[in-house]
Amino acid sequence: MVTSRPFEGVEELILFEDVSYSYSPGRYAIEHINLSIDKGEVVAILGENGAGKTTLIKHINGLLKPQSGFVIVSGMNTKDTTVATLARHVGLVFQNPDHQLFAETVEKEIMFALTNFNFPEDEISRRVDWALKEFGLLEYKDRPPFLLSGGERKRLALASVLCYDPQIVILDEPTTGQDYRQKLHLASLIKKLNSESKTVVVVTHDIEFAADFIPRSIIMSKGRVIADGDSEELLTNRELLMSASLIPPQLVELSWDLALNPPTIHFDEIVSSVKKLLEGKKA
Amino acid sequence: MKAFGFDYKRGTSIIHILDPRSKFIYTILFTALTVYFVNPLVLLLVFLSSVPMVIVAGVGKSWLRSIRGSLFFIAFIFIFNLIGIFWTTGSVADALIMSISMSLRFMALISIFSVFFLTTPPEDLTQSMVQLKIPYDYALTFNMAMRFVPTLSREAQIIMDAQRSRGLELEKGNIFQRVRNYIPILIPLIISSFRRAELVADAMESRAFGAAKRRTSLYVLTMGRRDFFFILFSAAAFLAFLSLKILLGIQ
Repeated sequence: MVTSRPFEGVEELILFEDVSYSYSPGRYAIEHINLSIDKGEVVAILGENGAGKTTLIKHINGLLKPQSGFVIVSGMNTKDTTVATLARHVGLVFQNPDHQLFAETVEKEIMFALTNFNFPEDEISRRVDWALKEFGLLEYKDRPPFLLSGGERKRLALASVLCYDPQIVILDEPTTGQDYRQKLHLASLIKKLNSESKTVVVVTHDIEFAADFIPRSIIMSKGRVIADGDSEELLTNRELLMSASLIPPQLVELSWDLALNPPTIHFDEIVSSVKKLLEGKKA
Repeated sequence: MKAFGFDYKRGTSIIHILDPRSKFIYTILFTALTVYFVNPLVLLLVFLSSVPMVIVAGVGKSWLRSIRGSLFFIAFIFIFNLIGIFWTTGSVADALIMSISMSLRFMALISIFSVFFLTTPPEDLTQSMVQLKIPYDYALTFNMAMRFVPTLSREAQIIMDAQRSRGLELEKGNIFQRVRNYIPILIPLIISSFRRAELVADAMESRAFGAAKRRTSLYVLTMGRRDFFFILFSAAAFLAFLSLKILLGIQ
């Protein structure tokens, strides 16, 4: 068993130590999870439906408390910390914006978290302004959130969490229902958060998105972490992807078909390899 | 958070295979009893009379969940009656007896309705309503309302998680503040219910719902001998309870 304050020396921002959780007896949603994420890292959590991804991230802001093992976030054991306290450090954006939008206007929606965390008035109006501009919502300021389009609602959900500047940002399936331009927008947002040395965790099915924009991947299957490391290394590993029921990124399939060694997830590497092949033929 | 355990699970007990209509007659008769009597002992008896059915049907776990889920309301009913009646009559004994009665009445109702819903397949319920000449549209609406209760409670949980992730503390403040804390949960729940209702309606119409003027049924429910005995038994018990009033003058 663990004593209550062994965490003074913990350097990692997020630490899972042998964490298990089950919703109904006999079936674990996540089982023996060990992982650590440092400050400033950008991490993708990949895995098939029911792999335990959402259960895992709910442990980071304390919505779920580990039934065995422990989770440390910013030096706090989530077991003895309220969700409200953790939420100040961990911004969790849910998959479906309709599960959180409720206010009369877009502006008030963004204010919700800020007032919950007792920000001073001038700080609130400053942050609301920033969020409205940052997420292109300024012109909808006084509209009811329910009348926005799907993509706009998704942006508002993001804005309503990022406005309070949490040091860890968790995005649950941020790319579902988004067109390619929105995905690029999201990628640049992640890059920007990262440049402010925020930690970003992205839960996704979208393996292309992970391959293109996220340096580290954690692959889950049936409640366990089956691989954790460099995205390029993991996403070009055929057996690994098969065992996690993941379809490889298209660039990886292409580099397998071209028999590139080593296979790659980078477009320009494929281009240069193909050029080399062509030149070899000419010569 | 499973709302009221009204979630039917397939079963083969005698209670499960009774015709929904005969169970419905039992439900009506015993509901009438709970409303008719105010004596706490009689209400306790009505409540206890549903327990053997729970045991025979083997739905004890779900039944307990219904009772446990309603404990909050029972406490609410008890406290408000206690205060209210003491306020008007000034008698502690009267207030206490009346509050106990009201709580028992509610518990009995929950128990009786649990037996009905826990042992009746939703599709049989719809079918029996249709056979009772209730228009199919209404029967189906009722069926779907029941069908979406677990969906709704799951969704309420997700919404609660989402708002707590934005710093909402449900247990903060005095009683009025606490009620207000639920606004950010109720509004998304209502709106997404409307969205879903629209979606379901569209999906049904795309599959030609309402195209046939006259519906026929593949399965028709029939009352058997066991239904006859069950109704007879329910009616006898009902009359026995009534005789308490007629013969002994118990209110």
